Amino acid sequence: MARTRSTKNDSAETKGEASSKSSAPKYPLGAKREKPPTIFILPKKATQDARIVNLPNPRNAKPSRYLVCPTTGIYEFTKISAPKSMPRSWLIESNGVEDASDTSKTNNSHGQVASSADLYVATTIDPLFFVLPALVHTDSSPKAEEKRRLFMTIYDHLDKLETEESHMSEILRWEGTRSLLESRMAAVCDTTDGGSDTMFRLNEKKLFAVILSKARNMCQGGLAPSMEEKFVTKALEAPVQVSSQRSSDSKQAKSSTEKGLGSGESTPQTESADSLSTTATSQSDLSADSQASTAATSVEDDGDGVSAVKVSDDIVDLQRLRTAFSFISSRYLTSSLATQLSSSLADQTTSGIDFAPLDAYYTELAKLRAEAAASRAIGDYTKKRGLDAEEEEARAEKKRKLEEEKKKKASESRATKELKKVNTAGMMKLSAFFKKK
Amino acid sequence: MLEARLEQASLLKKVVDAIKDLVQDCNFDCNDSGIALQAMDNSHVALVSMLLKAEAFAPYRCDRNIALGMNLTSLTKVLRAAQNEDILTLKAEDAPDVLNILFESSENDRISEYDLKLMDIDQEHLGIPETDYAATISLPSAEFRRICTDLAAMSESVSIEASKEGIKFSANGDIGNGSVTLRSQSNVEEGSDAGIKIELSEHVALTFSLKYLVNFCKAAALSNRVKICLSNEVPLLVEYDLGSNNSHLRFYLAPKVS
Repeated sequence: MARTRSTKNDSAETKGEASSKSSAPKYPLGAKREKPPTIFILPKKATQDARIVNLPNPRNAKPSRYLVCPTTGIYEFTKISAPKSMPRSWLIESNGVEDASDTSKTNNSHGQVASSADLYVATTIDPLFFVLPALVHTDSSPKAEEKRRLFMTIYDHLDKLETEESHMSEILRWEGTRSLLESRMAAVCDTTDGGSDTMFRLNEKKLFAVILSKARNMCQGGLAPSMEEKFVTKALEAPVQVSSQRSSDSKQAKSSTEKGLGSGESTPQTESADSLSTTATSQSDLSADSQASTAATSVEDDGDGVSAVKVSDDIVDLQRLRTAFSFISSRYLTSSLATQLSSSLADQTTSGIDFAPLDAYYTELAKLRAEAAASRAIGDYTKKRGLDAEEEEARAEKKRKLEEEKKKKASESRATKELKKVNTAGMMKLSAFFKKK
Repeated sequence: MLEARLEQASLLKKVVDAIKDLVQDCNFDCNDSGIALQAMDNSHVALVSMLLKAEAFAPYRCDRNIALGMNLTSLTKVLRAAQNEDILTLKAEDAPDVLNILFESSENDRISEYDLKLMDIDQEHLGIPETDYAATISLPSAEFRRICTDLAAMSESVSIEASKEGIKFSANGDIGNGSVTLRSQSNVEEGSDAGIKIELSEHVALTFSLKYLVNFCKAAALSNRVKICLSNEVPLLVEYDLGSNNSHLRFYLAPKVS
C-alpha cells in the first residue's frame, strides 16, 4: 500500500522530490548516480602507493578486495552495514577536504546521497594468511608427500594461487610487499638459502605455534564484547531456571546437601530430599560429583540467582582461547587446514594445553541443561520454547503485513470484491490495445 | 498553485462514486486546461478516463502541472461531508502534501474545510488514440443501466451485436437466455433526453463482462445520456458527458475472446 505523503519536516527522499518540483530549490540534488559512492575508513599510515587489489580470500580462495600498501602491509575490509529494519543512507559533502580557496568556489557544491549505509573499514591482516593456502598441501598421496619435502622459492609457492582475477603476481613485484610476505613465510617455514633466493618449506609445528599465539593475543584482555557474550558467557552459562528456583530454596537445599554428605541414612535428610523439587535433588547429586571435577566444586553457596554454576577463571580462559582459535581458523584458514589445526589444538601433546577441565565442565553443563529443560517441561506450559530476537522480528513483520492486508481488504467495497471475482481469462489487458505513453 | 471552484459539489461526488469501485488509488492530474484522471482497474481490463475542463470550474487556476495522488475511499469520506448544492473549492500548493477541500453552503453561511493527505502513486499512462468506431449508440443512461442489470441476472457476460436491424444485447446463462433489442428512432429531437440513436458503418458483434458494465452504469447519475462506441476487436467505450463543456467520464473495457 502506498504511503501517504507526510508533512514538511521530512526525509531526504521526499525533500529531494519536493525540491525537484519547486521553482528555486535551495539545495540542488544531482541526478541519481549509476554507481553511488562507497565509504571507506582507511588507515592513516597507509601510503599514497596503497592500492585496492584482488587477492584470493585465504578461507575460500574466492577473489576479494584488499588494500595493499607496499610499506605498511595488507589490510582487509570489514563491511559494516545498517540493519534491514533501520534503513539508513549516507549524506556526503564533498568539499570538506579541499583547501580554503577552493571551498569558496564550491560553496554550493554538490552533496551526494549514497542510498546504502554500508561502511568499509580497513584493518591490518597478517600477510601470512595469503600465502598459507599455497604452502599447505591438502593432497596426501605419496607423490604429494614427496613434493611437500621440497624447499621452494616464494614464487614457486605462490604460483599455485594464480588466477586470472588475482593481482598477486603484481604485488609480488613490489619490493616491500614481497619481503613482507617472505618474512611472514619464514615465521612458519623452515628456510634454506638457495643461491639468490630464500627457499621455504612449511613447518606444521611452527604454523600451529603462530596461530596459537595469535589466539592467545586475541584472548588477552578478553574477546570483543559481542563475541565474549555469545561464545563465552552464553556458552558457559548454566540454565537460569535452575538457579532462580534454587535461590528461593537455597537454604533448604544447602542444608540437605550438607546432611546428605554427612550421613546418608538420617531420616530428616530423606524427608527433606523428598519434599524438595527435582532440581534440588539433582544439586545434591552434583555436589557429590563435584569432588571429581574441579569445575563444579563452587556450585553451592552461590545463590546469587544469575548462574547456577560459578565458572572458574581457568575454564573461561580455556573457552576464550578455543573460541579465538576457532574464529581465526574459520575466518582466515582453509577448512582442511582448520580441521588439521583444531585437532592438534585438542591434542594435549602437541598443543601443550589441557582442555580437560573445560570438557568436564561441558558434560556437567549438558546434564544441568537437560535437567532444567525437563523441569521446565513439567512446570511451565506457557513458554514452549524460547524465541530469539530474529524470529520474533520476523513474526512481528509477518503479523504487521497480515494486518495491513486485512485492513486493506476490509476497506474494499463489496463491488470491488465482486469485480475481483470476475473471470477475465478471455479478456486482454488494455495495454495490449493502448500503447504506453 | 491550484485553485478550482466547482458550483455544485455533487458533480465531484458522483464522479468519485462512479469510479471508486473500479479504482482504489489514482492521480488527479491538474494542468491549465483542467483536471484529468486516467486509471485502470486491478485486473487491467478496464480503464477510466475522466476530464473536467477548466470551463467546468469558475474560477479555475493552475499554474503548474500537479499530480494529486489520492485514495478514492478516503476522498469519498471527505466528500460525504458536502451537501449536493454546496460550492466546492479544491486548493493545493505546487508540490503538495495535502489537498485542501472547502465546502460552502450558500443558504446558511456554513463553511467546512478539509485537508486530505496525498500519496505518491506510480501509474502508467496509456495513450488512447482517437478511434472511428464502427457503431455508436446514444441512449438514455437509465435504459442502458436497466439492460445491464437485467441481463446480469442471467449471465456473466453479454454479447452486443450492432446491425441494420438495431442493437441486440443477449445473455446466455445457466438458467436460460435473454436478450434486449433496441431499434434506432429516427424522430429523436436533438438535445432530448429520451430516444435511441444508432450510427452504424459496419456490423459489429462483441462479448463483454456484465459485472464491469454494471459497474460503469454507476455513472448514470452524472448524465441522462450515455454513448456506447463499438468496433470489432477493440475495447468498448462507454461515455458520459459531464456538463456541456466537453468534460466527460469515459470507461473502456476489453472484449472477451472466446
